[in-house]
Amino acid sequence: MNGGTDNWQRVHPASPFVRGWLALAALFFFFGRDAAERLLRGGPVFDERFAGRAPWLLLGGGTMLLLVVAGFVLSWYFTRYQVAGGFVRVTTGVLVKQHRQARLDRVQAIDVVQPLLARIFGLAELRFEVADAGQSAVHLAYLRVAEARRLRAAILDAAVREVALRGAAGQGAAVPVAQGHDAQPDAQLTARPAAPPGPAAPADPPERPVLTVPPRRLAGSLLLSEQAVVLLLGAATSVLLSAFTENRSFSFYLVPAGIGILAGFWASFSKGYNFTAAASQAGIRLQYGLLDTLSQTLPPGRIQALRISQPPLWRPLGWYRIQVNVAGYGTPGQDGQRSARTTLLPVGTLQDVTALLDLVLPDGAARPGSDQSFAAEAEGPDAHAVLAAGLSGLAPAARIQARRDPAHTIGDTDGGFTTTPRRARLLAPLGWRRNGFAVTGSALLIRTGRWWRHLTVVPHGRTQSIALHQGPVARRFGVVDLVLHTTSGPVAPRVIQAGLAEGRALLLAQAARLSPNPQPAGNTAEDPQEGPQHG
Amino acid sequence: MPTEAIDPPGISWLRVSPRYLTARLLGWGAETVLVTAALAVPLALVLAGAWRWPPLWFAVALPSAYLLLALWRLVLIPRQVRAVGYAERLDDLLIRRGILFQRTLVIPYGRMQYVDIAAGPVERALGLCTLKLHTASAGTSAVIPGLPAAEGARLREQLTARGEARLAGL
Repeated sequence: MNGGTDNWQRVHPASPFVRGWLALAALFFFFGRDAAERLLRGGPVFDERFAGRAPWLLLGGGTMLLLVVAGFVLSWYFTRYQVAGGFVRVTTGVLVKQHRQARLDRVQAIDVVQPLLARIFGLAELRFEVADAGQSAVHLAYLRVAEARRLRAAILDAAVREVALRGAAGQGAAVPVAQGHDAQPDAQLTARPAAPPGPAAPADPPERPVLTVPPRRLAGSLLLSEQAVVLLLGAATSVLLSAFTENRSFSFYLVPAGIGILAGFWASFSKGYNFTAAASQAGIRLQYGLLDTLSQTLPPGRIQALRISQPPLWRPLGWYRIQVNVAGYGTPGQDGQRSARTTLLPVGTLQDVTALLDLVLPDGAARPGSDQSFAAEAEGPDAHAVLAAGLSGLAPAARIQARRDPAHTIGDTDGGFTTTPRRARLLAPLGWRRNGFAVTGSALLIRTGRWWRHLTVVPHGRTQSIALHQGPVARRFGVVDLVLHTTSGPVAPRVIQAGLAEGRALLLAQAARLSPNPQPAGNTAEDPQEGPQHG
Repeated sequence: MPTEAIDPPGISWLRVSPRYLTARLLGWGAETVLVTAALAVPLALVLAGAWRWPPLWFAVALPSAYLLLALWRLVLIPRQVRAVGYAERLDDLLIRRGILFQRTLVIPYGRMQYVDIAAGPVERALGLCTLKLHTASAGTSAVIPGLPAAEGARLREQLTARGEARLAGL
């Protein structure tokens, strides 16, 4: 602890009211409804029968209101935060104190979230994600927008400096991962002066806009989505059924389904509205939202896996969607906000995709701040050619060599992609020319899907472990699946139906790539320093 | 059907303890007895005349079908136990399992976050333990069952030391 830095701050005083507006509204609704109704009807404010008890009722309501407000004030008073010494610290709780701290150099993402009500009051919530699959590590709700932005800039700036410091100190690219598990003392961090969250703190670094998604394209993408087709088909079916059976009840099933799908459309539209991506030194910044706005910042190298997908209806228009795994964001459930947060691009052209990939993948130009010193791509073909092959490529149907020699071990290829061998075409009659993988200097590219095209990109430095799987059917065809494990998220990378020999070779090659700095065996095996025991 | 192993050739696998077979068989016995007993309840009630509904053939078929499946699994258990293996390489740990459904897992030492050792009552009585590795990914289900306790402790120390030396981050 760096003593003396007593610059603990409180969140905005209005924040509990913004957060708890529902409770207040419920209270007013509960007590005010009857009175308001009677007033509207021109009657007395209180029912005659209750006239005698009116003071008691008022007293009860007032007490509850007071209690709620007092709770709000207390919770506000006991919520304090501090950014100092390489940590963000937050304490909350009136009776049960909770003290959280997160290391700045472990930041996986910082979001500035503005729900509608907070936006009206000019407030914003700051979310600070570390590598933890569940809830956000640190929530600061609510701050003034300017304050939230300034704090974000300060945190990102401090994080960049931490990483740079550690890199300079010879720790190399290795930034240890876990928050609770490791008890490494780090003298530099604690010795450094506190990042001052004063007016002298750094401003947002300059941004370079990369892309925006026009609302028309967003609307179009929703109209051409699978849900729209389902809606149309459902409508047509029920109309036909009603016409043929003269039974009107079929249309009733459509109403709730239609409402649900339309609500989904609205949510998607409202979430993806005005989507912009910008690049800055602190990472990629995504901003979007119609009513609730969200501004995400992903520092460089924080994307664990990425999937570009194209539903069949988008193909004529050349649109793509990109989803990412980011540690700390977790798996998107039904929660719309989470699925929005793991979306890097709701809908975009090939140009947008290329621009974003250049930004987020270490393959792109060697940018400062990229936290991994990946080997320069020496042998791989041009990255954009690989991308094109991955997005739309298809291996030729007939492979003369492969047909002539059934035991041929070199798989079919297309544009750098090794595809499913021809012998397994019965297993995947549509996909066998499409399913494939390619390895670049810094990432593994997996393409799947003939109709629903997907291209998954997993940086080598982000793969946690790899597994080969084979069931009895796959064995008959001599193919294996290769599963890459990354942090949880919407992307589950899996090379499907690769040839056995290719799969094995890929497993070994990837295993070698995952440990890019092999050290002499004697150095590591009997390391005298005792490690943290988590047995 | 060829049962060629999918794991890369030239790896010398360390196998788990033969006592693990005993543990699996004990587990199988307990599970089979309990489930068969539970499934035989309708049969008993029908025979006793308390229940009319499930016809006798169904009440008989239910536990016998389960018993057949369980016997099939019993035949497979020794093979499954023999198929579990692990290999420590210079930079990573390999774990394999399965014959019909094979899986070979590679975990680089630098990606390991922590190592768990667990031992249930049966395992403890047999002097065995189960080692579990955790990475930042929930998908990594890296479990080595049936290790002799001493080997488990050695492996844990070894893995922890190697993990420390190669620690890589997110």
